[in-house]
Amino acid sequence: MIEVGKDVVVVGGGPSGLAAAVRLAELGYSAAVVESGDELGGILIQCIHDGFGTKLFGKALSGPEFASSFIERLGELGVEAWTRTHVVRVRLEGGSWVLTAVSPRGVLRFKSRAVVYATGCRERTPFEIRVGGTRPAGVYTAGLVQRLVNLYGVLPGRRVLIVGGGDVGMIVARHLHLEGVEELLVVFPEPWFAGLPRNVQQCILDFGIPFRPRTIVKEIVGKERVEGAVLVRVDEKWQPIKGTEEFYPCDAVVFSVGLVPNASQLEELGAEIDPRTRGPVVNEYFETSLRGVFAVGNLLTPFDYVDDAVETAFIAAEGVSKHLSGEARRDKPIPLRPGPNVRLLVPHRVEWASGRDVTLFLRPSVERENPRISVRSSGGELYHTRRRYARPSLMERVELPRGLVESSPEGVVVDVE
Amino acid sequence: MGLEKKVRKVLERYSGYNLSCEIRDGVVFLYGRVRSYEEWVEIGLEVGRIKGVEGVVNKIVWDGYPAEKVREREERRRRIFEENKGRVVGSYDVVVIGGGVTGTAIARELSRYQLRIALLEKAPDVATGATKANNGMIHAGVEPPRSTLKRKLNVKGCRMYERWARELNFKYKRVGSLWLITPRTLEKYRRFLPGPLYTLVLKYVLPYIVVLKGIINGVRGLRVVRGRKIFEMEPYAARDALAAVYVPWTAIVDPYEVAVALAENAAANGVEIFTSTEVVGFLKEGDTIKGVVTNRGVFLCRYVVNAAGVYADEIAEMAGSPEYTIHPRKGVLVLFHRSTGSYVRHCLAEIILPPPPRTKGGGINPTPHGNVMWGPTAVEVPDKEDVSVDPEEVQLVLAKYSTILSEFPRDRVIRYFAGVRAATFTEDFVIRPAKWVRNLLHVAGIQSPGLASAPAIAEYAVQKLREMGLELREKPSFNPFREPIPSLRDMEPEQAEELIRRDSRWGHVVCECELVTEAEIVEAIRRGARTVDAVKRRTRAGMGECQGGRCLIKVAMILSRELGVPLPAVLKEEAPLFDGYVRGEAW
Ligand SMILES: Cc1cc2nc3c(=O)[nH]c(=O)nc-3n(C[C@H](O)[C@H](O)[C@H](O)COP(=O)(O)OP(=O)(O)OC[C@H]3O[C@@H](n4cnc5c(N)ncnc54)[C@H](O)[C@@H]3O)c2cc1C
Ligand SMILES: Cc1cc2nc3c(=O)[nH]c(=O)nc-3n(C[C@H](O)[C@H](O)[C@H](O)COP(=O)(O)OP(=O)(O)OC[C@H]3O[C@@H](n4cnc5c(N)ncnc54)[C@H](O)[C@@H]3O)c2cc1C
Repeated sequence: MIEVGKDVVVVGGGPSGLAAAVRLAELGYSAAVVESGDELGGILIQCIHDGFGTKLFGKALSGPEFASSFIERLGELGVEAWTRTHVVRVRLEGGSWVLTAVSPRGVLRFKSRAVVYATGCRERTPFEIRVGGTRPAGVYTAGLVQRLVNLYGVLPGRRVLIVGGGDVGMIVARHLHLEGVEELLVVFPEPWFAGLPRNVQQCILDFGIPFRPRTIVKEIVGKERVEGAVLVRVDEKWQPIKGTEEFYPCDAVVFSVGLVPNASQLEELGAEIDPRTRGPVVNEYFETSLRGVFAVGNLLTPFDYVDDAVETAFIAAEGVSKHLSGEARRDKPIPLRPGPNVRLLVPHRVEWASGRDVTLFLRPSVERENPRISVRSSGGELYHTRRRYARPSLMERVELPRGLVESSPEGVVVDVE
Repeated sequence: MGLEKKVRKVLERYSGYNLSCEIRDGVVFLYGRVRSYEEWVEIGLEVGRIKGVEGVVNKIVWDGYPAEKVREREERRRRIFEENKGRVVGSYDVVVIGGGVTGTAIARELSRYQLRIALLEKAPDVATGATKANNGMIHAGVEPPRSTLKRKLNVKGCRMYERWARELNFKYKRVGSLWLITPRTLEKYRRFLPGPLYTLVLKYVLPYIVVLKGIINGVRGLRVVRGRKIFEMEPYAARDALAAVYVPWTAIVDPYEVAVALAENAAANGVEIFTSTEVVGFLKEGDTIKGVVTNRGVFLCRYVVNAAGVYADEIAEMAGSPEYTIHPRKGVLVLFHRSTGSYVRHCLAEIILPPPPRTKGGGINPTPHGNVMWGPTAVEVPDKEDVSVDPEEVQLVLAKYSTILSEFPRDRVIRYFAGVRAATFTEDFVIRPAKWVRNLLHVAGIQSPGLASAPAIAEYAVQKLREMGLELREKPSFNPFREPIPSLRDMEPEQAEELIRRDSRWGHVVCECELVTEAEIVEAIRRGARTVDAVKRRTRAGMGECQGGRCLIKVAMILSRELGVPLPAVLKEEAPLFDGYVRGEAW
């Protein structure tokens, strides 16, 4: 058994985990990164398209380029990174966190006073959106196809139906088009693509890839191999319109229907889970309901920009520092609640007695022109900020002055108006 | 002649149609044409219920009968037959057709004796039929009617399972079942039971009728539970449960693990297992089968066992002894995430009388891995391979069984799937020598509880073969034991450490949801897994909440490496996963 003792252990070597480790090392703490995959970089390894780092570095890097800037820095700082090492169990033993991991080198026991979870997301499956029919060869999720095409040079099929009009779906559509798929169709239930306008132009329109809004897949057809799918049109409430079913012949169906935080280990550990995000409930430094266990990046909720995911890691690193130096917490946390027009909001509460302003991330549930993002307490509006537009596909970031929150100990509501 | 009269009486009720019948040795052949598939099923069932009918071969066609498809299938079989009938693979004492739990159990039972045995399975793996898509419940045998063979073998089979589990080392948990009696139980009869009488009957009469039914069937030990005790046993049971019957014998298994274990043990004891081997016809001399013809050639043999599941009727017909028609009955099951395991301790059902048509017999049960399963439904389908799931049926399952539990995270569905039961119109197991072929044993109509009955079915079938003249001489070298593939999931760190030291692949986690290592996958392949789904059934790689989203490529890469086939050509179950290589333009 290999024993490793550190101030902090970071679980997950994607951009957020790397960022957390880098910042912690810069703050002078000893840290180790534990990554289950063969290499560091997380989901970015397969994202060979550009568009990463626009906020953080002011340029559009490819996924691997973005990741390597952190990997290099990690090396400079001499932070240990354990790849092919999978954390299987976490326990609190005598005030320390003990993580048991397995790797081809043996079983490892990491012991630390704080843990940063950065385990990212998994993809939603066709079962989670209740697609019927059969499950023959040829039914995949988009991330899997992205990996397949970009890292292994293999195609999922020749006539491919893509389900979902978000960024990932569009990016995968473009790749398949370039890589020799003969026929493509993108379908999604919204009236228009849900992803960034830049991706609609550069991935779909520029290549003339056919798409059908307000359409979903009802059933997959085929015994051994996908033979096609039954498409059906939907109304504004995404309810299928009877009689509009249509058989679409294809040999692969690729689902790009959302991401779900990889929070099962935290859940088993007893961390409180937010049913909206399906990630952990966290305070303003992204600390979970378990003292000394932090959660960052896509594990909180999928971010549109890796830059935002990384920012949560930077903030959490400060939180780890506060935890390790024994700073005081409030007697009673102040809840941060989403209003009726907000689908999800992180963090969930303010728990520390003092510190930086509160960085909020929220996803609207509505589409609005010139909206106000407002923060209210029972006494009325405390704060607002304006945006050009708000829509569900765009994550909003709001910097909320700490003093305002502290003045309303009963909690505040954040909404889009 | 009495029989024929009774059959005609049934047919007369369908006077709009020109139906006819023919009876040979107790087997009824039906001819004609009806409008709907439902009527086809209904007529078959009505005839099947007549006392003295030993089988119904339903040759009636319905509007929309897929004649073209049937012809194509026969054409295909004939072609394969002609191409292969001249090539001999080997010579065997017994050829078992079908690698489900029935066929593998019979093969393993036969391997106790000095015999040359071949097991033929058309799919690339065993356990790809009904055996992979069922509840995995080992029922006690309270439900089947007293006079049926099903009842007899179920009661016996259930008792034999513990020994099987010990020898074959598959996961087996005797969790017991709890049948709830609630105000909904006799809803249909409420008007005959005014006021407090209704509750009294439910609380104090009905439970004892169920216990009595158990005793009649030969299942003792059933207990009536009332009041707080119900919730002590099952904390989330429906709040309005008035009473419950506890059946201590019910167990749960992984059905495919059972069949795989049987196949492995059979092979270790000399049975030759041929996968991707489809039976397409027989070589006969008079009324005796001389050889079984497959896409691989001819298996010469002395005895043939037909355990082909939903295709048993077609095999019987090919052999020249059509004695029953299978009417496939599909069942949809919904599987929940492991985190829901804490909500369910027993196999649960709510007694509803009469049983509702589309969901009869279903309920909620835990699985040996801590997941929870709801279902199944029961729907007659014309296509034997129709395992498609209508999302509405998932909704039906979710709605129907939600009254069993007061609380349950119903949104944690990770998968749903369907299996097809191989029902005959007599609705009982058909395990008997063929009437018109000398050396063929039917093991057909093995619908639920076929899994629970499997050990007894195997014993019974072997006894029938002996009666047919097969001499059984015990083999001293027979080894009843089989070792499972160790699993990191179930290991203490020290044991994992030890294994990793010997082989570093024990430390490489491939499936994160179910914690499956590369070593387990390689071992599964060494034991005969050739496809992604075969690996999945043996190791659980891909069975967790991401459903293979993260590990599928890794598993396929390992298969590709171990089998020496290119990645795109790796099979899922029967078809390749992917389709060739990229053009390389996006690089
Ligand atoms: C297809 C796709 C396209 C995108 N395109 C863009 C874009 O163009 N521009 C942009 O700015 N953003 C984009 N994003 C978003 C951005 O990539 C993510 O926000 C960011 O990668 C999240 O990083 P993360 O570190 O939280 O998660 P991940 O990158 O997913 O990293 C998590 C890591 O944790 C590891 N892990 C998990 N469990 C364990 C365990 N038990 N033990 C050890 N290790 C574990 C995993 O192996 C993984 O490496 C895209 C995302 C996707 C999926
Ligand atoms: C939804 C559902 C739930 C159920 N729940 C339970 C339960 O909880 N408990 C229980 O006891 N029972 C249950 N059952 C019943 C149980 O699944 C079956 O009784 C059992 O699996 C039957 O096994 P089998 O080997 O007879 O058939 P199968 O598993 O179908 O095997 C038959 C095999 O024959 C092969 N074959 C067919 N034709 C050919 C050919 N021409 N050449 C070569 N091979 C061929 C097929 O490929 C197949 O592998 C359930 C069934 C369903 C559908």
